[in-house]
This record gives sequence, structure tokens and C-alpha cells, in this order.
Amino acid sequence: MTGRILRWAGLAVVGVTVVLAVVLASRFGSDPGLVDSPLIGKPAPEFTLAGLDGSEGASLSDLRGDIVVVNFFASWCLECRDEHDDLVAASESFGDQDVTFLQVAYQEAAAESLSYLAEAGASSTTRYLADPGSRTAIAYGVFGIPETFFIDPEGTVVGKIIGEADALILGATIDSIRNGEQPGQQITGDTQQRPDA
Amino acid sequence: MSERTRNIASVAVIAVMSVALLLLTSTQPATSDRVQQIGTRIKCPVCQGESIANSPSQMAEDMMDLVSERVSSGVPDQQIIDELLGSYTGAVLLDPPASGNTLVLWVAPVVALAVGIAMILWWRRHPGPSADDATAPGKSRTRLVIGGVALVLAFAGIVAVAANSLQDRPAAAAGAADIDEQDLSEVSNETMEAVIAANVEDPQINGMRLALAERYFDSGDYRSAFPHYLVVAEDPNATGAEAITALVRLGWMAYDGNGEVETATRLIDEALAIDPGSAVARYVRARVLWCGAGETDQAIETFEELLTDPELATETRTQIEADLEIANDGGGECP
Repeated sequence: MTGRILRWAGLAVVGVTVVLAVVLASRFGSDPGLVDSPLIGKPAPEFTLAGLDGSEGASLSDLRGDIVVVNFFASWCLECRDEHDDLVAASESFGDQDVTFLQVAYQEAAAESLSYLAEAGASSTTRYLADPGSRTAIAYGVFGIPETFFIDPEGTVVGKIIGEADALILGATIDSIRNGEQPGQQITGDTQQRPDA
Repeated sequence: MSERTRNIASVAVIAVMSVALLLLTSTQPATSDRVQQIGTRIKCPVCQGESIANSPSQMAEDMMDLVSERVSSGVPDQQIIDELLGSYTGAVLLDPPASGNTLVLWVAPVVALAVGIAMILWWRRHPGPSADDATAPGKSRTRLVIGGVALVLAFAGIVAVAANSLQDRPAAAAGAADIDEQDLSEVSNETMEAVIAANVEDPQINGMRLALAERYFDSGDYRSAFPHYLVVAEDPNATGAEAITALVRLGWMAYDGNGEVETATRLIDEALAIDPGSAVARYVRARVLWCGAGETDQAIETFEELLTDPELATETRTQIEADLEIANDGGGECP
């Protein structure tokens, strides 16, 4: 009798341990960057960045009153290449509607980003910015790219897209901000880290 | 050396070592040590379980530079860490915070230890029957059952809390929005323009292009509607219905916008070549000729013929009936 009880108790412990192992193992390989951004609903971290080509660039505080779209990109990021045409289309469609598109080069030399933009085609309504020391990327909690943040006219972060953004998601997010909503975080796919990271 | 002297010497050595230890631990570490200490607590966000102090990645290097700069500015360690947490959440802490969902990771070992000690104590106070005591088998069984159940419950509790904590993470399931599934009534003209511009090669985009053109047309903005109708009209991949809509609208705009009756009828005739029975094309053609060329009788004839069709759309029927009444009213001019 005692032996049988011991066997059942042992089996139960093994069973529960296996369940725990499966639950934990299921998390292996998942993207650690898929966490809710603590910036949503908070004032957007201020920044003043020079243009990739050394031009004046942009200061977030000067854009108060506009919806600001901040996209982190790089030439080595495949998802960024996939979303490029959509970002250009959205920027040019909303360009004269109090919406400002900023694209910040992430972990890349300005010359490489400029070369990529020359090849892919830059938007005339987007400002392309350099981020030396990744200070802005760190302030925005960037885990990988592409990541796109949406800042409302009052300077509050109200939305974030993790992964590739298409024109419909970009436009619909801007539409909802215009309607006074807070679209929050949307995950559309994977992000990428620099190949040598 | 006497016993007393040895004792005094021992106490003195311990006291000196304690004071030295106290001094060592209370001294503020050098700036570079502080940077290193903070760096070992922060997980590199682009690496697999490495601290920013140990990772060779560019991101880790940039974060260490930032930490170093903040330390040099006299910012306290905890404030520097809090600033990073403000951007990244606790996901960048190598040691999970002892609060919220991760509290279980700190509490579980303590609870497990307490349960273990309690079980050992309980076991000792309730000893089982000795080898030669075969009179209390019930007690032994009870003891084993309680022990087993406590063990299983403890494991199950940890699994439940851990699984619950893990499920709180957002899922990467949203996916890119599907053009076909989107409710266009809630999408702005600018969004539709952007989607169309980004998908010019996609034949399925004609549906959205026509929907946008119709919005412009209904608001009287022919200039914005024209290029979209033209693209659909010239697209060999457009469906018959799409091409007819585009050609009929282009025809009406040619007449209504520029007074070009001939161009208008030519465009509408192209639509009728696709589907000679198209009620909308026939109606608009008759209306153009009535309004632009004064062909009232022909318009009345076409209107009456169209109204005999039982499958005519209600909206078109209402419009034709109103026009017919005006046309019949002593050869009235088109509105």
C-alpha cells in the first residue's frame, strides 16, 4: 500500500514537472522584444537630431501640434526594405495634413543609410535623421527594427508598431489618432537586430 | 601565551577585520566600477541573456556609454536604471524585479524551503512506526498521503503562476492589415491614397481605387476622382463591372465638368461595348444627350425602357423616375 502511494506521488510530481518544462520551453525562440512599451500614454522622449546628410534635421519639440511618426530603420534590415514603399506612400499622402514622418537610422553609418535611400527612393516629405550613440533609440526602448512610434499633437506617445508596417496600418493608425483615440501597440511581425549584434 | 591573552588577541583580530570590512563596503566605488556594476545588472536588449557590460554588440556599447555619461554627471545608480526601465520595462533587468508577475520567481524558492522545513519538522514530531511496531500502519499511510499531496500542490501552484505570468506577454499575431477585409468607411482619403500608391501593381487594389474615386465624385471633386477612374478604365486586369463604372463616371465628368458631349458619349459607348445591357451606362448616356444635346425624346424613350426592368436598382429607379417626370413636363430642361 505504502509503495503504491509513493509511486503515485512520484508520478504526479514528474507529470507536473513535465508540464512546467513544456510551458517554459514554449517560450524559447520567442522574441524578447515583444513586450508592451512603457512609453504608450507617456510624454514622448525629446530629441534633436541632425539630418543624415548633415542638414538641420528635426527637433521633436518644434513639431508640437503635428502627429509625428518616428520610424527606426537601417539598410541591413529586410523588414525595413519591405515596408519602405508603404512609408513613402503614407508620408506623401499625409504630408500636407499636419502629419510629420521622421525616419531615424538605427545602428548604421550615415553614408550607408544615404546609399540605401538613394537606391530605394527617399520621400520628399520625410526627414531622414542620424542617431549617434543610439541615444534616441535607447530613449524609445528599441529592441529591434523596424519599430514605428506615433506621437499625438500634444507630444504623447499613443501608438507603436513592432515589425513591418504597411500603408493601411500606418494610415489607419493616424486616422484613429486624428479621432482622438490611442491606438496602442500593434505587432505585425518580426524585428531584426544588426547582423553582428 | 595565557588563555586570557589568546582570547583578547582573537577578539582584537576579529574587531580589526570587521572594521576593515565595514570601511571597504561603505566606501563609494570608483566611477568606472559603478558603470561596470550597473552594466552587469542591465540585459543587452539585442542579445541573448548577456549584460551590456559583457556583450560586444554595438547596442550594448552605446548603452554602456550612456550609463558612463550619466554616472559622470552624478546621477545615482538607481535613477540611471529607472531611466532605462522607463524605456524598456523590466525586460532589460537581468535580475527580475521582486514585484508584479516576477515576484513569484523570488517568493517560490522561499516558500518551497519553508514547506520543506515544515514537512521535516512535522515528520520528526510524528515519527512512523518502528521496525518492530506493526500496530500503526494507518498513521504511516496518512503521513505519506499528506506529504505527497503537499508536494504536488506546491508544484502545481508554481506551474499555474508561472504559466499565467508567461501568458501575459503580447502575441505577435496581428499581421499586416488585409486590404480586402478592411472596413473602408472608417478609413480616411489619405490612408486610401497611401494604400493605393503602395500597391499600384496589385490588381486587387482597383476596388479601393474605385471606392476612393466614388468618394471624390460624390463630393464633386472631379479633379481628384479623374486619375483613379482613368487608371481603372485603362487597366486590362479590371473586371467588367469595374471598367464600366470607371468609363461611365469619366463620361459624365467629361460632360458635367467640361461640357464635352461627344467625348462623354464615346466613353459611355465603350462601357456599353463591354455590357450592352448596363442600365447605369444607358441611363447616363441618355441623360448626357438630353442635357447636352437636347435629345429629350430619346431620353424619355430610354428612361421608360429602363423602368420596365424589374431588376433595376432602387436608387437608379428613383433617379430615372424623377428625371422622366421632368422630361415629360412639357419637354422640361434637364436639372
